[in-house]
Amino acid sequence: MIRTYRAELRRLTSRRGLLVAGFLLLAGGFGCPALVFSAAKPAAQVKSGGSFSPTVESLSAAGGGTQVFQYAAAFMGTLLFVLFTGLFAAEHARGTYRTMLLRQPGRTGLLAGKLAALLTYAGTLLALLEIVMWVAGQFEAGNGVSTAKWTSGAAIPAALGDYLTVLAWVTGYAVYALALGILIRSVPIALAVGIGWAGPFEHIVSDSWTAAHHWFPGLLLEELGQGGTSQESLAKALATTAAYVLVAGALTVVAFRRRDVSA
Amino acid sequence: MSEAISTTGLTKRYGARTVVAQADLTVPTGAVAGFIGPNGAGKTTTMAMLLGLVRPTAGQALVLGQPISAPERYLRRVGALLEAPALWPGLSAEDNLRVLAELGGHDARDIPRLLELVGLADRRADRFGRFSLGMKQRLGIAAALLGDPALMILDEPTNGLDPAGMRDMRALISQLASEHRTILVSSHLLTELEQVCNWLIIVDGGRIQYCGPAGEFAGSQHPTIELATLEPRDLLALADVVAAAGLDAGRTRDHLVVEVGDRDAQRLAADLNQRAATAGIVLTELRVTRPTIESAYLRMITEDVA
Repeated sequence: MIRTYRAELRRLTSRRGLLVAGFLLLAGGFGCPALVFSAAKPAAQVKSGGSFSPTVESLSAAGGGTQVFQYAAAFMGTLLFVLFTGLFAAEHARGTYRTMLLRQPGRTGLLAGKLAALLTYAGTLLALLEIVMWVAGQFEAGNGVSTAKWTSGAAIPAALGDYLTVLAWVTGYAVYALALGILIRSVPIALAVGIGWAGPFEHIVSDSWTAAHHWFPGLLLEELGQGGTSQESLAKALATTAAYVLVAGALTVVAFRRRDVSA
Repeated sequence: MSEAISTTGLTKRYGARTVVAQADLTVPTGAVAGFIGPNGAGKTTTMAMLLGLVRPTAGQALVLGQPISAPERYLRRVGALLEAPALWPGLSAEDNLRVLAELGGHDARDIPRLLELVGLADRRADRFGRFSLGMKQRLGIAAALLGDPALMILDEPTNGLDPAGMRDMRALISQLASEHRTILVSSHLLTELEQVCNWLIIVDGGRIQYCGPAGEFAGSQHPTIELATLEPRDLLALADVVAAAGLDAGRTRDHLVVEVGDRDAQRLAADLNQRAATAGIVLTELRVTRPTIESAYLRMITEDVA
């Protein structure tokens, strides 16, 4: 697992990959805060229990600087899911799982190493993104948002909380994407199933079945990314998602260990 | 001689379709073994089973003395190229090898030498995705050589190579064999393997048809003598001369092909030359044809069909 982890990190941190990530980091880091500020409304104008919307008051609080990051991340859920699913399924389509298994035949270790490396890489990028957004937010704050409290002592635990929430949210998406990629193997089918399920299907069903927010993995991840909602608390969303992640991980490992890798 | 690879009753079935049937094969340590068979004969599946990628339906196999159910015990000493090389298109040739070296726990300092060996030293910074099929194949060989493996399993390594590339690949395989490695190399191009292999495994329809020394396989077939005359009409008269000598012959459009059997081919050719001259027939060709792996293989397949 350690060798896979190091090899995967080496692959993810290739010069070209870092250049692309750096560009996206700066573009997202400076672009997203402006969007979040422009979408902010006074709390009084935001419908209770409505959609996940930034308020002038929450963004002006001590943790507002990093809440910008949390809001921005929440909007990128589908994009991230598509990216992860594509990454994992493409390894099958390209035959690189076969190449890796010739060097690292321990299949559980291979998957664990790959996932750990991806989360390390994503975790580092997210930390940098949070910092960039905080700095950018200082310059871009507007629409009635004040940044005076962002440098107070209370901002640090708030920043950590926001970071861990987003990291847990990303981990959930990564494990679901890995499961889809390994179980389905085909990039277009994995993407179609993933997007179809987490996008239209869950949302359409949730309109008529309110308990969907307690049970559907995509909706739970959305609630997790928002730090909990009126429909599901953060703790419950986290616990249910953790259980789903364990089940998805176990299914993935069993399938990968049992299957022939002939592609 | 110890065996680098041995299988007993190795079988792979996908549903009702049997891809590899009861394969018993051996590859002695140090041999360059050619794995020959038509497309779809089961070569790649057999190799995939030996590499722990595909689980056999039945049977057993040992690679470097270890069971294929535990590939982690031997894969560090095995270099393999299975089908087309599958590497990361966005990474350079060198970075791809570095990732694989890290993955396998091999010394990355050997990478420049390997790139030099396969003729890609000046393209080491180029992305794999931009390589031609031949260059990808060569990088796949370099990847297989990481860790200085004792056994190499190469599936159709000349796929996509131009004639010069094929020649270079044969030279490379010969060089690798001279370094006391065992090599199992598959191909459906018989002439390609004939020049480098000293051990042969022939598979057809998922069944092993022959497994043994290459020389014995070709040698098990008798040579023939091919005759041509100056005047095509003399070919009939020549056929009578051959028949009078008690020999069987077949006729092509402009040749007579004489079955030598267990007789001394050179002596028989001299005798036929003398008989033709006595009959007033001028020969323009008199050639003893030794069986090649290809001719012996084709004869074997034809006989099976018959």
